[in-house]
Amino acid sequence: MRPVEGTSRVASSVRKKRPARVLFAALLFIVFYFLLFPYPLGRELIARPRWAVAIPASASSPLSEPGRPSWQFQLGSRFGYVHGDGSVQYAGTALYRVALSATAFVNYTRLGTDWILQDSSGQRLTSFSGSGYPLLDPEGSRIFNVKTDLSGIIELDKSGGTLWERDFPGLMTTLSLQGDSLVVGLLNGSLLLINRLGSPLLEYPARGSRVPVILGSALAPDGSLIALVSGIGPQYLTVLRRQSSGYAPLATLGLPSDYRREVRMGFSPDSRYLFIEGRAGPGLFDPAAQTLRWVGLRGRLAGAAFPGHGMLVALASRDGGRVQLAIEPPSGVAVYREEFPAHELYLGNIDGQLLLGWDGQLLRIDIEAV
Amino acid sequence: MTLQPRHLVRALVSCAVLIFARPPAFALDWPVAVKIITGTFGEDRGDHFHNGIDIGGGSQDVHPVLPGELVFRYDEASDYSSLPRGTGSFVVLHHDQDILSLYCHLQNGSLGPERTAYVPAERLGMIGDTGHANGPHLHFTVFDEQAGSTVNPLAFLPPLPDRPPPVIRHVLLASGDQRQLLESRATLKQGRAEILVEVYDLREDVAFSWPLAPASVSASVDGVEVSRISFDSLQVVEGKAVLSGTTLSRGQVYDSAGLLRCGTVELRPGESQLRLAARGCAGNEAVKIISFSVHE
Repeated sequence: MRPVEGTSRVASSVRKKRPARVLFAALLFIVFYFLLFPYPLGRELIARPRWAVAIPASASSPLSEPGRPSWQFQLGSRFGYVHGDGSVQYAGTALYRVALSATAFVNYTRLGTDWILQDSSGQRLTSFSGSGYPLLDPEGSRIFNVKTDLSGIIELDKSGGTLWERDFPGLMTTLSLQGDSLVVGLLNGSLLLINRLGSPLLEYPARGSRVPVILGSALAPDGSLIALVSGIGPQYLTVLRRQSSGYAPLATLGLPSDYRREVRMGFSPDSRYLFIEGRAGPGLFDPAAQTLRWVGLRGRLAGAAFPGHGMLVALASRDGGRVQLAIEPPSGVAVYREEFPAHELYLGNIDGQLLLGWDGQLLRIDIEAV
Repeated sequence: MTLQPRHLVRALVSCAVLIFARPPAFALDWPVAVKIITGTFGEDRGDHFHNGIDIGGGSQDVHPVLPGELVFRYDEASDYSSLPRGTGSFVVLHHDQDILSLYCHLQNGSLGPERTAYVPAERLGMIGDTGHANGPHLHFTVFDEQAGSTVNPLAFLPPLPDRPPPVIRHVLLASGDQRQLLESRATLKQGRAEILVEVYDLREDVAFSWPLAPASVSASVDGVEVSRISFDSLQVVEGKAVLSGTTLSRGQVYDSAGLLRCGTVELRPGESQLRLAARGCAGNEAVKIISFSVHE
């Protein structure tokens, strides 16, 4: 198609009239603009190993500075506390199991009824008795006795006296403790939220499945959210959100899984994200966006942590004798992925950073933005 | 003895119970071949009623008691758990009519690959001593989800071979802090007292005394029933496990020494008779009658 003659002539005359220096000035302006106001590039995240230590068979440094913070770890039957600089404050081996918390622990035998509560340096805090097995809240400020037949739970005071006791109309399948609250999942498909006095604040019956059963539960640290995996045929992930009048469903998602065992799940320390075991590896649920994203790792969820002061999520799965580790922001762009052989694995937080344990070793990795 | 109206009423009630009692809605197969009962339903386990039966017999295969679907399992050696499980490695099956059966303390690694459906001929695992177990045994529990109760499995399993009746050993009367052994021809002071009874069934396969809880115990004074404790089923009422149809919790059934609390009696001047009847896990009954006199 030919251009219209008249139009072409007018454009040509304008081009001839524009002085070259105007074009040059515009170019100069653009160059200076980008020099003065450069486009900000994203900060680069660097994973920096800080230290690695072999866990000693036993260690106790009761004379370490009082109040010096330490962080718990558990690697198979070995457990303890480590300081931020890598010095091990306490290391021990579970007699049968250990009730471990941020500040204290109870190392108990299979059939014993006398328990000793010890602080993070191994010093005895108190002793008490119980017919069941002990359990501590994450902070180590509350002591529970879980009945051996999983029919009920008792909260004890520091002298071993009963603060409250509650039996359940079904076998306990899951349990989650945070602050003043306790969430218990039952074999009969009910989920109970119990307050500090042992009274139920919420009884949520999981519905929609052929066989109701609670297979996983998690309570957000700030108490704002409760998550549960329930049912057989089909299986659901339900997230409840606290409202002024109690808790109401925020999201219910059908899952492709068919678990017949407890499903590992939990919230991030800031209560913003939920990690959950899934058929296609671990998943991360964002309650704000109501999206569930599967992180492509093989095998069962083996651990989760939120390093970089919560900027990132670290998830690990185990498949036979191999472990896969993924570190990435919750939005999902992989920062680090690794696969290595390990029989035992621990993922935790240390001073807002990542504490990775495997086969008798601990490694601190700091995530820094540069 | 003269026939009194209350006797007639009791006879009518007994007939009504027999006529209208719900027959067992389901019948179970034994989960193991060698059936040695080492623990019975309703026993005092320190902080809870024993909610099933314990079966010994050494290491042997454990089978489903009915065809069923796996709903939950836990292998102590490999599975994640958010709470300590005294049950050790265990399996729960769901059956028709919302019956659940629970098989505990199975050997680690004996559960086999995860499957969804089981029939009684198939193996669930092997008897072990995982979790809170003094020795290898199967802790077996049956939940009736429709009734919301845990039922005594022995009521639904094929009957056990004949066994000796339970033993009613000691009877005490407790008033305040004082306890007095009640023997025939005893003379008691007028007042009010609680009847405490040491009563048990016996495990038969061992030479030493291994007491088991009886299936039921009743006490009557001068022909008036003062208590009836039946370990038929358990329910949870307001957060507390109680014997179904009653408000009797563990602390109201057992005293701190493990004696059965068989009601309270008003001791009035004159001659009286206490009749205790205990039924064992194979259905045999033992009766003990104690005559005593009360003075002012």
